[in-house]
Amino acid sequence: MIEAIGLTKRYGQKTAVDGISFTVKPGLVTGFLGPNGAGKSTTMRLIVGLDRPTAGTVTVAGRHYADLKAPLREVGVLLDAKAVHTGRSARNHLLAMAATHGIPRKRVDEVIDLTGLHSVASKRVGGFSLGMGQRLGIASALLGDPGILILDEPVNGLDPEGVIWVRELARHLAGEGRTVFLSSHLMSEMAQTADQIIVLGRGRIIADAPVGEILAQVAGKAVRVRTPDVAKLTKAITGPDVTVTASTEPELVTVSGIQAARIGELAAGSGVVLHELTPITGSLEEAYLALTEDEVEYHAGSFENEVAS
Amino acid sequence: MTTTAPAPGASHGAATHTPRLTFGGILRSEFIKLFTVRSTFWCIVIIIVLSVGFGLLAATVQAPARAGAPVAPALTVAQQQAQAVSYATIGSEIGELVLAVLGALVITGEYGTGMIRSTLAAVPKRTPALIGKAIVLAVTSFIVGLVSLFGTAAAIFPLLPGTKNIHPDWTDWHVVESLLGGAVYLALIALIAFSVGAIVHNSAGGIAAALGLVLVLPGLVALFGALTGLDWIKNIGVVLPSAVGGNLSDYGGRTTQVVSGLLTLDRLDSGLVLLGWFVVLFIVAAVLLKRRDA
Repeated sequence: MIEAIGLTKRYGQKTAVDGISFTVKPGLVTGFLGPNGAGKSTTMRLIVGLDRPTAGTVTVAGRHYADLKAPLREVGVLLDAKAVHTGRSARNHLLAMAATHGIPRKRVDEVIDLTGLHSVASKRVGGFSLGMGQRLGIASALLGDPGILILDEPVNGLDPEGVIWVRELARHLAGEGRTVFLSSHLMSEMAQTADQIIVLGRGRIIADAPVGEILAQVAGKAVRVRTPDVAKLTKAITGPDVTVTASTEPELVTVSGIQAARIGELAAGSGVVLHELTPITGSLEEAYLALTEDEVEYHAGSFENEVAS
Repeated sequence: MTTTAPAPGASHGAATHTPRLTFGGILRSEFIKLFTVRSTFWCIVIIIVLSVGFGLLAATVQAPARAGAPVAPALTVAQQQAQAVSYATIGSEIGELVLAVLGALVITGEYGTGMIRSTLAAVPKRTPALIGKAIVLAVTSFIVGLVSLFGTAAAIFPLLPGTKNIHPDWTDWHVVESLLGGAVYLALIALIAFSVGAIVHNSAGGIAAALGLVLVLPGLVALFGALTGLDWIKNIGVVLPSAVGGNLSDYGGRTTQVVSGLLTLDRLDSGLVLLGWFVVLFIVAAVLLKRRDA
């Protein structure tokens, strides 16, 4: 469990995180989405006490991170791939981290095997690819076998195989009842991995809801219709809110402002033959873009007002 | 690279010995960290080679005898011991610079690579991590100092009767004390550089600041002292790290006193002044570490 209340971080004039409150629950994968500079990484750094909040608090397992008796046992964190001394080998890095908590050498070997680093474990980290660096970061996070995992962009730099591995790992860890909090800018990835999604834009929470709910916000808004007689269909379903958009195929149109069932009924009433009638399920990308678009517009508006006044 | 199926929970919930953060663990971690980067190894090798090499050079090279030059008067026993000690410690005057670099790198290397974030995530109270690093560095530097100084002495003392007509006396406590003092100086100079590195964060800046304190500042203070003729400026020169460090390893005979406005310090007081430099800088470093974002 991670709980943030009114969490705020300002760097000089710039507000990176603006009074956000959220809860990350155990047993779920919680995705943390947002464009670059939205404040995701800052929030994660605040959780593990690397940065000090300007205002508000954040606790892990009910305590401030710095007050934990065994931080690595409670929280595993992948902040970024560059949190390792480049002159040290992966195994020595893990051994040094493990030593602080008296974590046995056996566990170091376990996480090396688990993350597929075996063949490079004795090589210096400076020569690692981004993907190998990510795997080492994940190995560090898993070292203490923690109940809470915080992973900042874990799939960044991984090959497709690695992406699937991280997805399965996250699901597996949540399935064991752990709290999994991961950020990503790959929204499609989130749709397949996360149960709950927190969307951050310009330091504020835009949405905090189950994946299905976020998808539903844009789902059913449009319907794909295929018919040999587009003109007659358009006439049949015409209404004040209804728009019919042509596509590259002459027989295919996208209809919005009316439910799929209603289109079917009206088409039947007019004797129009339909070859396809498909409600378009919004992708998470679309949902996300729709959400952040509003946020950007809001800020643009307020900026203009400031200039005008 | 192979990918294995997720099975991270192998030891999850196992009712065995529960790992937790301890200061002993932090010390072990810092020891592993210090000895798993190459710079440590190279610094230690260079210090020992410099110390023994310069010692041998100083002990064996003869100044060419000039015709007609007066025969040097025979040295007293004490002068012979002082000379022997100066040959044994001559190399560590360069070694101290290498240890200063190592001391700064121990912390600035972590800031430069981002490792500091891993360190502080494991030790979120921060101060224990800084203290752990300092202890491991101090012990390592002291041992390196002991090995290089006593090793150099052991290598050159048997040669000195033949080359310089000097008869070193291991039973003279001041000889041993001077070499020990030299090792203490090396440990403290590493710690001072470490503290400066912790304040500055940046490797280049940390090394430059530490070397500036050891190398450049004494020259500047001496220059200003000479130009102005002010005693208090000259006395600042007396308490600078390199000056008190020199007193630590000198064969000696200094007493702490103020003679016509000018300060001199004996071995113990020189050590205390040097310790003071470290303590002040370390406290500044610790306060900043606690306050700043990592």
